[in-house]
Amino acid sequence: MKRKLLTGNSAAAWGARLAGAEYVPAFPITPQTEIIETLAYWIDTGEMDCRMTTLESEHSMLTAAGAAAATGVRVFTATSSQGLLYGMEMLYTVAGWRAPFVMVNVSRGLSSPITLEPDHNDILAARDSGFLQIHCATCQEVLDNVLIAYRLAEHERVRLPVIVNLDGFYLSFTREPVELPDPEDLRQFLSGYDAENIRFRAGAPLSEGVAVLGGALYSYFRYEMHLAALNGLAAYNEIADEFAAVTGRQYRSVEGYRADDAELVFVMMGSFATKAKAAVDQLREAGMSVGLVRPILLRPFPRDRIRSMLAGKKGVAVIDQNLSLGMGGILYAEITSALYGSGDSLPIFVSFIGGLGGRDIAAEEFYEMANVTALAVRDGHAPAPRLLLTCEELVEVRKLQEIAGATGTSRGNP
Amino acid sequence: MTGRSYTKIGDLPAGHLLGTGTPMCAGCGGLAAIKEIYDILGEKTIFINAAGCMTLLANYPYTPFRGSWLYTAMASAPAGAQGVRDALDILLAKGRLSAEEDLETVVLTGDGSAYGIGLSATSGAMDRSLNFLYICYDNEGYGNTGQQASAATPLGAKTATSRGPFGHHGRKKDLFAVWAAHRPAYVATVSPSDPLDLARKLETAKNLEGSRLILAFAPCPTGWGFDPKETIKIGKLAVQSGVWPLKEYRQGVVTHTVIPRHRLPVEEYLRCQGRFSHLFLPQRNEELLRKIRAAVDDYWEGIAN
Amino acid sequence: MEMDKGISSLYRIRFHGRGGQGMKTASRILGSAFFREGYEVQDAPRYGAERRGAPIFAYVRASRYPINERGVIHKPDLVIVADETLLAIAATGVLHGVSVDTVLLINSSENAESLKERLHLSGPVFSFAAVAKGEGLHELRFVGAACAGAAARLTGVITRSSLEYAIRDELSHLGDTIVTKNFDLALRPYDLMAAQEGVVAPGRGISAAGYRSPGWVNIPFEDARISAPAVYSPATSERVKTGLWRTERPVFEADLCKRCSLCAIYCPENAILLDREGYPRIDYEHCKGCLICVEQCPVGAMKAVPEGCVPVEKREGDGNET
Repeated sequence: MKRKLLTGNSAAAWGARLAGAEYVPAFPITPQTEIIETLAYWIDTGEMDCRMTTLESEHSMLTAAGAAAATGVRVFTATSSQGLLYGMEMLYTVAGWRAPFVMVNVSRGLSSPITLEPDHNDILAARDSGFLQIHCATCQEVLDNVLIAYRLAEHERVRLPVIVNLDGFYLSFTREPVELPDPEDLRQFLSGYDAENIRFRAGAPLSEGVAVLGGALYSYFRYEMHLAALNGLAAYNEIADEFAAVTGRQYRSVEGYRADDAELVFVMMGSFATKAKAAVDQLREAGMSVGLVRPILLRPFPRDRIRSMLAGKKGVAVIDQNLSLGMGGILYAEITSALYGSGDSLPIFVSFIGGLGGRDIAAEEFYEMANVTALAVRDGHAPAPRLLLTCEELVEVRKLQEIAGATGTSRGNP
Repeated sequence: MTGRSYTKIGDLPAGHLLGTGTPMCAGCGGLAAIKEIYDILGEKTIFINAAGCMTLLANYPYTPFRGSWLYTAMASAPAGAQGVRDALDILLAKGRLSAEEDLETVVLTGDGSAYGIGLSATSGAMDRSLNFLYICYDNEGYGNTGQQASAATPLGAKTATSRGPFGHHGRKKDLFAVWAAHRPAYVATVSPSDPLDLARKLETAKNLEGSRLILAFAPCPTGWGFDPKETIKIGKLAVQSGVWPLKEYRQGVVTHTVIPRHRLPVEEYLRCQGRFSHLFLPQRNEELLRKIRAAVDDYWEGIAN
Repeated sequence: MEMDKGISSLYRIRFHGRGGQGMKTASRILGSAFFREGYEVQDAPRYGAERRGAPIFAYVRASRYPINERGVIHKPDLVIVADETLLAIAATGVLHGVSVDTVLLINSSENAESLKERLHLSGPVFSFAAVAKGEGLHELRFVGAACAGAAARLTGVITRSSLEYAIRDELSHLGDTIVTKNFDLALRPYDLMAAQEGVVAPGRGISAAGYRSPGWVNIPFEDARISAPAVYSPATSERVKTGLWRTERPVFEADLCKRCSLCAIYCPENAILLDREGYPRIDYEHCKGCLICVEQCPVGAMKAVPEGCVPVEKREGDGNET
């Protein structure tokens, strides 16, 4: 096995290559573009036996992806934010065709205002679509989970497409050491695409994605997708175990870092969760009993594992790098609802929202979140959700507003 | 209504409206075109933008415009223009807006949007005879994401997604013809290297009603691989070699406003750009060069007939 | 995946320069060199407006253990400044988080003591000349390699052969000539900085005991009239001094000028305006130095002059904004 410094985008491209992707419908968007450029290069030089077609939009790209998978080839594609949302109709549509493939989403904050840096509102917008979703925290995880995702998507008890998410900039353009598994070793783990009975052939007529009139019938199809998605929980574990046997790297639907004996835990997803690990180490050094619980698989939602990992915890700081406008943190809502009905005495949950549009979450902010949570435990109730912003940052905003003419007094006529 | 006439350089506006300090690359051909266009169109405009290089023109709290701006999304800038124009017309009709406060709606997109994802919205706008201007800065690729191939990329050009020895396999879409097929009020090609021709066409467009679409040649130092100082020179070579015809469509007729008497060899244009260097080094690709020359020759022979 | 328990020391290194000076290459060369020495590495470039000449920075983290920190480095152990003109511009963040413990390495022909005094720096400062005097402007793109070479020596843990390996690894796709050129440029400062070997030590990060409060603010609701992402003032972009991007400037010679005004028409930035007599005036606060005006002037009244020939104090535009 070779260990190299690779960016998250390179790691994603390697995942597609090692998985033997045969077709890549593409469309460029920051911060994903290097993925398709890398694949285009390998295809041009003959290193990868694959066809790439640039479509004119992500809506078309996703349609082509699903259609190609439904015809019977192994498909890979990639997008981000605006592109993911532009194709949102097709996410739901192609998932319903039950023809599996893998898409990488490189997370990026959504317009308006238009931005380039990451947060999780884009990927989370897809959580109801029928695509399974995996959240990566390192470049190694990206490569590994693209491979795992193919097995997961193509699992006979699943047959749903999978999105593997990595954060823009913090992973996409950042190099980290990545071990490239040997193609020989992977042969057992991942063989050729079996389209099963959903594939177009002259000799086997097939009408796919047909209209369905009648609520009970429509419900049947949708419930079956839900049950298939839920099967993803056991499937992910099975597949992760096989992957560990090949590579030595063991994945679980939820990772715990120094969480077993912790009184307080951070709950966080994505690349910033590694910052939480660094914070956990410093906090432990300073005498606090803190850990991290990190969901990797978000759809299907790993409810039982979350329950068991949070059981007995006194305080839980849920850090959302997303914001459901008018509600709050999405992960917060999902985690707290997961614990309803678990019977045990519940921890105090505190909600923090930060990292939107790539805003950094400083080490001191993690320490403060831990201390606020400890205080909440002591007092027996949680404070209101906190939108992370500092005085210094607000002062900077004011300066810019001044220039923009957007102040209470100097604003122009409406 | 013909408006001002531009017969010599001295007739061009002396004051330049577009603000300095934008983050476009030094020598940006798209910016060169927009700056010239803005001088003719003026401040009573709202620029409605789709995702592309120019999206960064307005980056909070900075904007170079003295008029208005609305950023929409990559596919739908013409639909944004539809909404603004319809609303302005409603307000005017109801007397809630004076004629003084009216704005010309100007869609601004790159070729990525115009030739592809935004074509449906553009077509729809023309179907409805939307009274608007459309400015496309054509740098022959998806520039803002690193110059990947778009439907505007010419045959043989190297792009970030066409790095093989033959460059881009596709041909440049004839967007002028696609737009003209809708029989809008006006379509024209311009180049910032020909400011008089550009000014005349924008003045014409400004004084017409209906859908008026401008395709502006936008040489891109970053994406095409040349020194920023050559932007205007490359524009001139494109026009003089016949690669970028300067023409207009009006009422069913296409007129060429500049016809190079002795077209410069197309190779002179290709040679200056890194994106075509593989046509010459390590050895000449005679086959591709022949195809590229032939396409230009065929076009001009077609005009002569 | 082995879990690191406990705090381990970590090199936190930032490179500051301009687009076109090879900062991304610098971070990759250093990152690869560390990796070759068996370190865990994290390196990345950071773009603002991603254009040639605009200020950018890149960073490298290196440790014996898996690295969990991410993003902008707030407490650097080493800051390398490839372009000293950036030091005068607060918005570039060159000195962000720089403390008495931070080693500053500056590409300059000025000596370290003088730099330290002039810029009021309290920690260790070293200077080196990345590009020898007399080398042309096109050499600027290799500044990054020189910076990486000097930085490598300062860490004290990167051997000459690892540095060579890293250069080859990063640049071999550009051909042997480029690789050799970068060898020369990187190994010279590497050798020159021998006396400073090991002066940079890895740090332990920010402690959770007695940390500085983040100063959170409870963001108040504000009327959409001011809280929408809208700009109500015209042409505010003029506050952005894009003149900082220049490596060359156009200089105008009045006696040759025929007042044809083509320079003002062709300038994409509108950085050339005509005075009452019709002669061009160049707005050096905004001129990006594309030199279209020089190329297009029909009578050669515009000439290109390297910025390096203009004293730092005389350069306009080193103002507030980026």
